[in-house]
Amino acid sequence: MSLENVHDLVVRGKAKLVPAAVQETLDEGVEASKILDTMISAMDVVGENFKNGTIFVPEMLIAAKAMKKGVEVLKPHLASGAAGALGKVIIGTVAGDLHDIGKNLVAMMIESAGFEVIDLGVDVPVEKFLSAYEENPGVKIVACSALLTTTMPALQETVTALNAAPWRKDVKVMVGGAPITQEFADKIGADAYTPDAASAAKKAKELVAA
Amino acid sequence: MIIIGEKINGSIPVVAKAIAERDAEFIKARAVAQANAGATFIDCCASVPEAEEVETLHWMIDCIQSVTDLPIAVDSPSADVLTQAYKFCNKPGLINSVSGEGDKIDKIFPILAENKGWQVIALLSDDTGIPKNAADRLRVFDKIMAKAKEYGIAPNRIHIDPLVEMLCTSENGIETNVEVISTVRAKYPSIHITAAVSNISFNLPVRKMVNLGFTVLAMNAGLDSAILDPTNRDMMGVIFATEALLGLDDYCMEYISAYRDGLFGPVKQ
Repeated sequence: MSLENVHDLVVRGKAKLVPAAVQETLDEGVEASKILDTMISAMDVVGENFKNGTIFVPEMLIAAKAMKKGVEVLKPHLASGAAGALGKVIIGTVAGDLHDIGKNLVAMMIESAGFEVIDLGVDVPVEKFLSAYEENPGVKIVACSALLTTTMPALQETVTALNAAPWRKDVKVMVGGAPITQEFADKIGADAYTPDAASAAKKAKELVAA
Repeated sequence: MIIIGEKINGSIPVVAKAIAERDAEFIKARAVAQANAGATFIDCCASVPEAEEVETLHWMIDCIQSVTDLPIAVDSPSADVLTQAYKFCNKPGLINSVSGEGDKIDKIFPILAENKGWQVIALLSDDTGIPKNAADRLRVFDKIMAKAKEYGIAPNRIHIDPLVEMLCTSENGIETNVEVISTVRAKYPSIHITAAVSNISFNLPVRKMVNLGFTVLAMNAGLDSAILDPTNRDMMGVIFATEALLGLDDYCMEYISAYRDGLFGPVKQ
């Protein structure tokens, strides 16, 4: 009953009510990791709703905020690293491009799916993507964003450099952004392309499960 | 209100197709429609890879100026492309755009210094990105104006874009934009302040409502220029109405004339 309540409150983005609901569920003896999984599946529902147009970006945002509040209550009860148990994801907007709102939404949804996200920000040079991987053991995915047709070459350059790295087989490369297409992603050698934050989170989970 | 017609832009899928196929009639039709709807400038954006951009803009600009005498806003994220493409215009227009990033200003402002008829849009972003708060955007603004003074470019040739972001991810409505717009307006009464209006409503339902509300509030703060679709009759009507409401239209004559010209209101049969 309380677990269902937590799920429902996250889906509806009730950030003020989630902490108490999570605490109630913990007090009933439900394992913290189970509550975390419930919130993650609530975010899956949110993602699906966004993709089929029943909800809009703000509703996705408040759901993620609600989950974050819930995770804060769970943290002392979770094994360390459990909240980002699926692994680390590096994300950034490529060199020459300052657009970040879409990238931020993707980061938020991927985090809500159970990953630990390292956000390099905007205008990220190729070397920084590479060194971020090398400085952070446990990175499963590198995600690159480009919003302008004119920064697509920078995206290509970034993915080319990632493809040439000695550790390439240990990591998956995802790309996205308004002018990006599956065709372009295939051409430059990325592992995956997704059109929005919700599908990105779903795809990220598939990539690490494979 | 200065209206920069936004409909000839390669980031719009049907336009990208027309550009790729060199469908001149399509581009010309869009230019004529916007001119008839009351545009002040016709924006021209290729949205193609940089290697093809100058040639593509050349073709597009030829199409536009073959059917209208309105000045053109040459639109590209590349300063290098802009320095070449502006020459294709047969009369001075608007350079869209510069910002505080890199050496954009140092490439573009000399052109404005030499070609006194040209105007420019200046975005308040710099190498740190899009500043999160008003104070930081105004810092970029001050730097841009210092450069403008250095190159002898009068404020009335500059359109400051305070950078309109999506409302749905804002925590304080349009407070940042309003603060920037009103501060800029107070400092330079003759400067132009512009915005890509439809950015505000991205990913909200019934975007039109948000776009219209934003336009009114921004004009109230000092916006006098906008990048939008002039064939959107509701938007044009609200703009003329707001100018009259702000006391910028003696006897509401502009409003009445625009109505008579058929720019808004019921379509005359």
